[in-house]
Amino acid sequence: MKLNLDKLRAIVGMGNVRTDPLDLFVYGTDASVHEAPASAVVRPENIEQVQAIMRYANAELIPVIPRGAGSGMSGQAVPIKGGIVMDMKRMNRILEIRPEDILCRVEPGVVDDDLNRALKSYGLFYPPAPASSRIATIGGEIANNASGVRSVKYGATRDSVLGMKVVLANGDLIRLGANTRVEASGYQIDRLMIGSEGTLGIIVEATLLLKPIPKYRCLGRASFNKLEEAGNAISEIIASGASPSILELMDNIAITAVNTTLNMGLPDVEAIVMFEADGQVKEAVDYEIAHIKAVCEKNNGFGIEASYDPEKRMKLYAGRKKLFAALSRYKDGLACTSLADDMAVPYSRMADMAKKIHKIAEKNNVVMTAYGHCGSGCMHTKILMNPVRKEQWDDARRAVEEIYDYVYAIGGTTSAEHGIGISKAPAWKKEKADSLKVMKAIKKALDPNNILNPNKLQDAPDDWVSATRLRYPVKGAV
Amino acid sequence: MPAIFNHLKEWQNELNICIRCGYCYEHCHIYKLTNWESDTPRGKLVLIHALLNGELEPSNEIAEKVFECFYCKKCSDNCSAKVSVTDIFTAARQDLVEAGFDADGVTARIDEDFCSRCRLCISVCKTEALSWDAENKKVVRDKIKCQGCGTCVATCPSGIIVQNEGYAVSRKELKERVKKINSRFLVFCCNWEIYPGLRLSRSETAQPDTHTVIVNMCSGRVEPELILEAFNRGIDGVMIACCPPDECEHNGNYKMMRRVAFLKNLLPELGIDAQRLRVDYFKAKEGVKLKKAIDKFVEDISAIHQSAG
Ligand SMILES: Cc1cc2nc3c(=O)[nH]c(=O)nc-3n(C[C@H](O)[C@H](O)[C@H](O)COP(=O)(O)OP(=O)(O)OC[C@H]3O[C@@H](n4cnc5c(N)ncnc54)[C@H](O)[C@@H]3O)c2cc1C
Repeated sequence: MKLNLDKLRAIVGMGNVRTDPLDLFVYGTDASVHEAPASAVVRPENIEQVQAIMRYANAELIPVIPRGAGSGMSGQAVPIKGGIVMDMKRMNRILEIRPEDILCRVEPGVVDDDLNRALKSYGLFYPPAPASSRIATIGGEIANNASGVRSVKYGATRDSVLGMKVVLANGDLIRLGANTRVEASGYQIDRLMIGSEGTLGIIVEATLLLKPIPKYRCLGRASFNKLEEAGNAISEIIASGASPSILELMDNIAITAVNTTLNMGLPDVEAIVMFEADGQVKEAVDYEIAHIKAVCEKNNGFGIEASYDPEKRMKLYAGRKKLFAALSRYKDGLACTSLADDMAVPYSRMADMAKKIHKIAEKNNVVMTAYGHCGSGCMHTKILMNPVRKEQWDDARRAVEEIYDYVYAIGGTTSAEHGIGISKAPAWKKEKADSLKVMKAIKKALDPNNILNPNKLQDAPDDWVSATRLRYPVKGAV
Repeated sequence: MPAIFNHLKEWQNELNICIRCGYCYEHCHIYKLTNWESDTPRGKLVLIHALLNGELEPSNEIAEKVFECFYCKKCSDNCSAKVSVTDIFTAARQDLVEAGFDADGVTARIDEDFCSRCRLCISVCKTEALSWDAENKKVVRDKIKCQGCGTCVATCPSGIIVQNEGYAVSRKELKERVKKINSRFLVFCCNWEIYPGLRLSRSETAQPDTHTVIVNMCSGRVEPELILEAFNRGIDGVMIACCPPDECEHNGNYKMMRRVAFLKNLLPELGIDAQRLRVDYFKAKEGVKLKKAIDKFVEDISAIHQSAG
């Protein structure tokens, strides 16, 4: 790959192109287990610059990997074979907020929490809210179809994106979607871009649908002595027509992790269910909460409490918010890896899935948790293992495979929110075997030279463990 | 593992424990300035990890990154994986310096040729980065210990202690920032008590604030010249928000209190009401109290203006 740095500098300015080995290394990592250095880091500031970079890269057949905050957990933003990492964070303007149409227009580098801070004074919010909202960018969220704790009520990113502007591999700029809640104007290409992980186009602007901030929020918690009963409670809450705005599960491993690291004092039980209801009318929220409590009780839930008080709510929820990071302190010598970490399964199989996760972990000499946004069908797990031992990677590889075989057998899907990238691609290719051909055709049509984030999704290597260098110093080759 | 990383090798396990979530971005003053990920705590840990495992060769450029840290410790304090981020930076500083790599980052440098040997700087340095070399009769600095608070910079009567430009704390940069202010009030806020979130996004629809906040690493860094420059530019009020007396990481607030007492005597002689300069104290994370205090200050000074007609 021959890079003409002067050309890139002429497009974005001297100060926005970097090729120092240290920068190339950092921009070749994200929150996944993978790393591979970039060939250059380029920071465009506007649409014209993005177009010019794409025209240049397309002519010279140089890979371009768009990057938000690099908080992806599956290696989506890792440049497997090098290339230009296009850091979108300088395109960070909130272009307009239109309360009368409850929508806003933003550039892709806007940070989710920043947007919500700006919307607050209008009494509005942008709902997808992944746990990483403090750093994740809107562009990264769209490219990943991120969702979060309130998706059970408000949906995923795809439910909040009305339209966007996209720069294609050849540098052309296209407008997709509309400014309206509904649209039936032909192919929904905007939907195609959502979750495309930077492989089909560069999102350079987005029009987002907003929601009014509810006047009342009540958050509660119930304990369970059996994981199964917690799973059943979740399924029944949803199936009985309740509309919680949060419905989360934490298993005992997750509880232990936050208790040891953060001293949270969560009840030491087999499972905790957290729930929230919100709305503009207090009686309606009361009604939801009473209903959820009753279902929990019916399924042997105990120690049930709920509160409208913001401080108490924060306390009740704090452990969940920091869970992922806390898991890395579960036991000395074990690291917390994001592998097979966000499958979605039908509600009625939630409890089975949780139990199976623990069984597979035990069989394969790793520790695994089951927690997550179960109200939206999303089960989270982490694989805790000794990352410097080669055998543990073989264990992890097997565990991942067995987990996904089970997920597909019960009618679930590979990823609920974190995306496919590199580490989930082998399993996902199995799930989507019959549509891979169509996906390849779409990719070929939009990016004939295969320069946009190549070697991801359908084109990712078949073995995730050896796909890139791993971020840990593994003893002995993997 | 290359032999030179004697201090860092103790931290290998901690480096594995970092999950690279990037939540530390939100807390990092340097990152908010540069918007380069290689300046974030996560980015630096990635680099240090790569050094330790031979994936990157040590260089002055990497050393520079490691010395770019004000040790506000917000990354460590808020890391839910409880990684001792800044301790790892210190180990990296030690190893790189011992291996002969050279960098200044945000640390303070002394121009020895012009030093008058008054040694005032030694007395204000809480991290003991400055000491007197009796044999060679000069002030020496231990840059591994220096956390870049800048109290010595503001204290040196000869003005020969400096910090590099690029981190918004050099004398020139601070002055320029004061000159650019177009709001009515200025708040010097030390990094410890405010918690501003990432705030890297720009919004053209947002209302301009009544006040501008200049975040610095310690109120001890706020020189009288900066305050006078602000009044000179017609700013209505200057507030210094700093840590309570015994809680300052650098003891710089005592220095600042003496300066403010002096200025309060001087201001009336310049025709400036002394009430237009205010000091207030905040503990870490008292962001709400800070916001209320700023509103109150704006209100009080506006009232004085009105009654003065
Ligand atoms: C601790 C932690 C918690 C998390 N919690 C959640 C959660 O609750 N829900 C959830 O959904 N995710 C979660 N994530 C995963 C991740 O933060 C999100 O998926 C987020 O949307 C990624 O945004 P980013 O800006 O960091 O994107 P990056 O990681 O930088 O990029 C992700 C992908 O998007 C592409 N991309 C980025 N910007 C653009 C653009 N402008 N145009 C085209 N493609 C682009 C990249 O090429 C890449 O393929 C979590 C991550 C961490 C570390």
